Amino acid sequence: MSRVPQVVAFGGGGFSMESGNALLDDYVLAATGRERPKVCFLPTASGDADHYIVRFYRHFSAGRCEPSHVSLFRRDCGAPEPREHLLQQDLVYVGGGCVRSMLGAWRAHGLDGALREAWADGVVMCGLSAGSLCWFEQGLTAFHGEESRPVAGLGLLTGSNAVHYDKEPRRRPDYHAAVRAGMAPGWAADDGAALHFVGSRLARVVSSRPGASAYRVDRVDGEAVEMPLAVDYLGAPVSLVA
Amino acid sequence: MGGGGFTMEAEPSLFDDYVLSLAPAREPRICLLPTAGGDSEEQIRRFLIAFGDRLCEPTHVSLFRLGNRPVPLREHLLAQDVIYVGGGSLINLLALWRAHGLDTLLREAWQAGIVLAGLSAGSMCWFEHGITNSHGHPAPAAGLGFLPGSNSVHYDGEPERRPAYLEAVASGAIPPGYGVDDCAGLLFRGTRLAEVVASRPDARAYRVTASGGRAHEHELEPRVLARGAHDLPGAVPHDIGELRLLHAARRTMRGR
Repeated sequence: MSRVPQVVAFGGGGFSMESGNALLDDYVLAATGRERPKVCFLPTASGDADHYIVRFYRHFSAGRCEPSHVSLFRRDCGAPEPREHLLQQDLVYVGGGCVRSMLGAWRAHGLDGALREAWADGVVMCGLSAGSLCWFEQGLTAFHGEESRPVAGLGLLTGSNAVHYDKEPRRRPDYHAAVRAGMAPGWAADDGAALHFVGSRLARVVSSRPGASAYRVDRVDGEAVEMPLAVDYLGAPVSLVA
Repeated sequence: MGGGGFTMEAEPSLFDDYVLSLAPAREPRICLLPTAGGDSEEQIRRFLIAFGDRLCEPTHVSLFRLGNRPVPLREHLLAQDVIYVGGGSLINLLALWRAHGLDTLLREAWQAGIVLAGLSAGSMCWFEHGITNSHGHPAPAAGLGFLPGSNSVHYDGEPERRPAYLEAVASGAIPPGYGVDDCAGLLFRGTRLAEVVASRPDARAYRVTASGGRAHEHELEPRVLARGAHDLPGAVPHDIGELRLLHAARRTMRGR
């Protein structure tokens, strides 16, 4: 059996941000190609917040998938051997929160290597916000307040990533400034937009909201140049008649 | 602390009073680092309640929420009189501190004379090694190494730690150190053990050494902390009531 590596990186969205809109979550479940996929939630970026884990199980109910989670703060709960467990999944779903804290905890528990292995083996990787930034070489984080700073991700995908691009007014100027200053060029996504990579190539951009956009940002002659990407809205076609 | 304080004892905890008494300031600034517990809201809430009723200025830094609540880490931590580290996963605590540069900031704080306190993971982190349950079973793990030697906590409360600790010391895997019961604590001035204290009379600490491939425990008798006359559980003494009003007024003035 050989499955191709896939990452679906949400600029924001899914069960934790879009109550009542399951389009992105349905999309990643379908991307596994399984009828009842094994889905493991990694809530590390939230500090393994209980309320987040509960909401995951509510949305990824046992009827449509085989849900589980790995908690690095309470190793007595959740799956016992993270590496083995991750390798057996069809989908790994990474929650939002603090990307720097998440990557630190992952590295301390060897999850960085385990996730790379699982990805290469065809386990679909997805997530929002911190759970998007982490797959790239560099992510733009707004942590530490004053300025957004690039943080080194797992590097499964080349280039950089910015999330919540439309929602937080400083993201776009900060991302452009970072790319001008030497951050790797990459992709930015609004809330509700998701970048679907097959192998290391961006195969498709999908959205759970009609207006959500995504962009490729490059450095050309020392300037940041932004190109909008074609986005497929996953919902019913928007009626043009009021 | 081997275990104790606001997270483990009924309030008002003698340990929390003791920690505050170590700071020379009349109204010490005390900052909770709840990192090891994943910045659990419950731990933060209990801290703010416990220390909100004491003469001090309590704050906390949540590394998981710096995006929503930015804190200039260096300025804030170095302006404290006491830094109080909550319990949880020792492995995660150190990994997150390193990811955010807190390992070097805390060394700076310690050298500047800021009192560093904590229980469980928040105790072991100051030593070269501790015995962590972060992997689901007791195993040695490295700390920051401000204090020489090793430390194992919950020595009576979590009995599976003790044999793991003794074996690790006996085999030379980790250096000799201290085993500490729940409700017992060690005070180090510089790197020298200055005092052993306890909030209940039967809590103990042990100096654990190795020779001839075996570990030896040497019991350390603690000074039992006494309850102040005003700390009657259940009642809110008038000075505490006044303090609450003062804090509330200050919060209003700060506009939050």
